[in-house]
Amino acid sequence: MSDAARAALDAKVLAWMREPATLEWPQEEERFDQIARELFHFQFDHCPPYGRFCARQGRTPATVTTWRDVPAVPSGAFKELVLRSFAADEVVHVFRTSGTSARRRGELQLDTLALYEASVLPSFVLHLLPELVRGALPGPVPAVARPRLRILAPTPLEAPDSSLSHMFGVLLRALSLQDAIGPSGFDVAGGELRFESWLHALEEGMAHDAPFVLCGTAFAFVHALDELARRGVRLALPAGSRVLETGGFKGRTRELSREALYTLIEERLCVPPARIVNQYGMTELASQFHDSVLRFSGAPRRKLGPPWARVRLVDPTTGNEVPRGEVGVIVIHDLGNTGSVSAIETADLGRAIADGFEVIGREPGAEARGCSLAMDEMLAGAGSA
Amino acid sequence: MSSFRFGDVAAARARIRDAGRALRARPRGEVLDSLAEVLNRWREPSSKARRSLDLSLPEATGFSREMVRAGLALALERWTGDAFQAVVRRELDPGARGSEPGRTLAVGFEATSVLLAGALPTPTLLAILAPLAVGSPALVRTSSGDPVTARVVASSIAEVDPKLGACVEVVQFPAGDREALEVFLSAECVVASGSNATLRAIAPLVPPPQRLVAYGHRVSITVLGPEALTSTSLPQTCPRVALDIALWDQLGCLSPIAVYAVVPDRLAIDQLASGLASALAQIEQELPRGRVPITGAAAFARARADAELRGAASRSVAVYGTAQDPWCVVREDSAELREAPMHRFVRVHPVADLAALPTALAALSPYLAAVAIDGFGLEARSVAQLMAERGASRVCPPGRMQAPPLGWHHDGQGILTPLCRFSDLEPD
Repeated sequence: MSDAARAALDAKVLAWMREPATLEWPQEEERFDQIARELFHFQFDHCPPYGRFCARQGRTPATVTTWRDVPAVPSGAFKELVLRSFAADEVVHVFRTSGTSARRRGELQLDTLALYEASVLPSFVLHLLPELVRGALPGPVPAVARPRLRILAPTPLEAPDSSLSHMFGVLLRALSLQDAIGPSGFDVAGGELRFESWLHALEEGMAHDAPFVLCGTAFAFVHALDELARRGVRLALPAGSRVLETGGFKGRTRELSREALYTLIEERLCVPPARIVNQYGMTELASQFHDSVLRFSGAPRRKLGPPWARVRLVDPTTGNEVPRGEVGVIVIHDLGNTGSVSAIETADLGRAIADGFEVIGREPGAEARGCSLAMDEMLAGAGSA
Repeated sequence: MSSFRFGDVAAARARIRDAGRALRARPRGEVLDSLAEVLNRWREPSSKARRSLDLSLPEATGFSREMVRAGLALALERWTGDAFQAVVRRELDPGARGSEPGRTLAVGFEATSVLLAGALPTPTLLAILAPLAVGSPALVRTSSGDPVTARVVASSIAEVDPKLGACVEVVQFPAGDREALEVFLSAECVVASGSNATLRAIAPLVPPPQRLVAYGHRVSITVLGPEALTSTSLPQTCPRVALDIALWDQLGCLSPIAVYAVVPDRLAIDQLASGLASALAQIEQELPRGRVPITGAAAFARARADAELRGAASRSVAVYGTAQDPWCVVREDSAELREAPMHRFVRVHPVADLAALPTALAALSPYLAAVAIDGFGLEARSVAQLMAERGASRVCPPGRMQAPPLGWHHDGQGILTPLCRFSDLEPD
């Protein structure tokens, strides 16, 4: 394969991402399989460590006959290796996983942001603003109904290596250009929540009865909600407001269960759990998965993704997919990852629910048997991992 | 097993207080004789306790039946009644401790609560016997990983000495049951084993003047010198190291998570990794690995795939064994500390020479439990000294890591002294 092959692959995936999204969003299995195998062939040839990794498993373009056979790399490998399918001098952007300076951070090098950016918008709109989907991406919306986005995260300018900030920047830009949202912005600067301006923005929106889409990391929400509680403030956000929360609490001083967080959000912001969407994504991926609660209200909460990204739940010992309903390791095949590796094995466990899945978490009961190990602490001290 | 409620825990606590009064009235020698007899019976493979563990421990903990038998046999090899009496003399006999005879008294607390962790049976045995030896009744909470052993220990004690048996109450309640936990932790002395996060959570609930004796997570390693890696010594070295790794499926704090090969010869390190792989494959035939929870299996597979990928990136990393093997050996290219997924996953790290060893172990030092050393010839003593200075509370030869002496200073502490108040009686 050649650079022309890569360009052709990018064009195919981009074309898919730019097609009008519908609530049903058909999966198009054959189309996915075809592109996934072409992409595997390309990455096998152009990402030498990945190619050798696959060959040692006997997985080559000749033997891989379905996307389900494409070998996945563990997400942690991005902390150790540069996994890219293009030349080093073509890097235009680098996203890094979150973490402290003492610990090694995962790194995704990109030679184009086009796929990442194209993937963000339809998933977000479909799962956070499904009423904007009229058989096509957002069209003209009456000004009074336009939601405002408040982002509890730093701007892309302040955090250029944060894929999350970049995503929010793309959303603000694209939705503003389409006139689909009202006055919106970021509420974290200099590493701190700008609580007063965030509160002011919310109160101002409430005065205009403009609904909000509040976005941010789970921990940022806890911080903001704690401050509201400390001041005894309870905001009745306008009807139609919703929340997107993402990320976890690792390394933070305070941890909350998702249920507790949603209870707090409802208490302080009057946004019920049925309007709170968890986004499941990671720096190493171009695409994200979202809770279905707004897209399919009333149906069981599960994670859904765009048709160019698939999830397999696998038995870690055999590598085979687990029977439906059983817990397995979440492996994601994302065609948006044309420049790196498309198949990523996450550190998360999940279970299939209807047409989607739920994330069970990382280490439930991991300590039950072992006396050994405080590895996180040790590795943090060693400045590695 | 059904969980206890707050009221059940409170009732158990009240019962051991009553039993404790009778315990303190008894001559200590009589109690120690009973405890020594319990140990002697446990050493008999045909004893009621051992048969009970053979029967129920594999299902409860996930260890294979062969592992339970072999692991207990090795661990109890030196745990005789006499060895127990010797520990008591060493730690509580004023003469043995260098004090003036009869002038220092060791007194146990009115009650001791023992919070168990992990799934290995012998730490549970000792954790229950120790408070009784100092005259303190024990309220014991089983770990979720082993709900069986504590009850077997309690039955064994009652069988030998019913009055002493009344001084042990075994309870189980969910970790989130705050009321039950607070009652449990209200004893004058609390012995807690568990993760560092668990211990940090418990500490505020056991404020002074209560005594908190905490055993946090620890790791063990093996350090091999050139003489253990020659073509003639390697066939002896590898099975011993592999046994240390395989016993209890590498889940104990005395299980080595890594082997440090202090030798400049790259080929010797490759041969060590290969020999370990063969030895682990052989051990699997005799002591099959037990059940692995999905979280453990996922961590194991992820660490293996990560090493495969690093190996594919042309670095000097090699993975031995297939993805389906119940063991994995990774030949690393540096001494850098990495994840330890356990369940028979071991990394072989090169260390150029002894001078580089302290730096290689720096991150591990605060967490070191045991170190097995071999192959250092005349320098063995100084290597052992170095390990002690680095924080190891035990240095032993390979093959003996899972057979600590009864008097091993777990976490660098005494067995009985942390459970006592000492009173110095000065002359008139």
